[in-house]
Amino acid sequence: MREESHERALQFIDKMQVESLTAAERQELEAHLESCVHCQKLERQTELALRAFRAAAPRFDSSLVLKTQMQVRVRAREIAENAARLRALWISCTLSWILGVVSAPLMWRGFEWIGHRLALSRVVWVTGFALAWLAPAVVAAAIIAWRQAEGAVGSGQ
Amino acid sequence: MSAVEQEAEELAGGLRRRDPALIDYLIEQYRYRLFRYLLMLTGRLPEAEDLFQETWIRVLEKGHQYQQRWKFETWLFSIARHLTIDYRRRRQPESLDALLEPVDTRRPLEVEDTASSSAFEQAFQGQEAARVATALAHLPASYREVLTLRFHEDLELEEIARIVDSPLSTVKSRLYRGLTMLRERLKDIYS
Repeated sequence: MREESHERALQFIDKMQVESLTAAERQELEAHLESCVHCQKLERQTELALRAFRAAAPRFDSSLVLKTQMQVRVRAREIAENAARLRALWISCTLSWILGVVSAPLMWRGFEWIGHRLALSRVVWVTGFALAWLAPAVVAAAIIAWRQAEGAVGSGQ
Repeated sequence: MSAVEQEAEELAGGLRRRDPALIDYLIEQYRYRLFRYLLMLTGRLPEAEDLFQETWIRVLEKGHQYQQRWKFETWLFSIARHLTIDYRRRRQPESLDALLEPVDTRRPLEVEDTASSSAFEQAFQGQEAARVATALAHLPASYREVLTLRFHEDLELEEIARIVDSPLSTVKSRLYRGLTMLRERLKDIYS
């Protein structure tokens, strides 16, 4: 028997396990195996090796499940608490923004009045107004960004 | 909607809500399979145990990313695999040169082989445990990984390719080589 036919049979033996054989390939393999003891042995070895591999069952420490479930619950609580805190922050930011918009004309008049009383240049009191008006939003945005970055680091992202 | 689709939708919904009861159930359900996969991947018992816990925490955190069209185990193993690679990188950081290499010239994410036969001997039970343990310790991690996904998990080759993030041809070649090595190592097991 030619060496190539053994190689081909071995390819089919492996292919049968890894993928699947076409009808023609199966027929060719069966015909070869009928007359080749060497390849029959290889087929048997492959089956037994895989059987042993499949039967190899790692021991599992059941306390690992309880430990993991507890850790997951602790982390779930942390995530829920962080989300609640972040939600409160978003609500206060939105309220502060609405208040800022509503109170802007009043604040503008206030800064204008102070500017006139103290004889400040327009640039100075307008800048003061802009800073006072933007400050709460900037601080809140910084806090949100910081908390989100902290959350990302905490979750290993 | 079929029962399977409904189940997948409930699973996705529960993961999005980060439902701890659902995750408790999933931990019970997949405990053995995930642990076996991690052990095959790392070849180290304590590492597999640590990664087991980290994987479920990541499932909780990233549950919103799960999509129904994926089999849950494919997604789960994929998370476990990425965590294993991160874990190894944290312990043995890559050199600055390697990190600076352009992404497309870098090797695909692989798990470094650090298996020891004692870890497998400790972990495996059964008649041929010692022989199988030795054989497994001699196989590269990337071969053990695909062998376990194919012959323990019975996953399709495409699903394995998705988990190991490699082309189908790579998965097949690892499977064929792994099978050959396994056969060689175990050939006298019943003789």
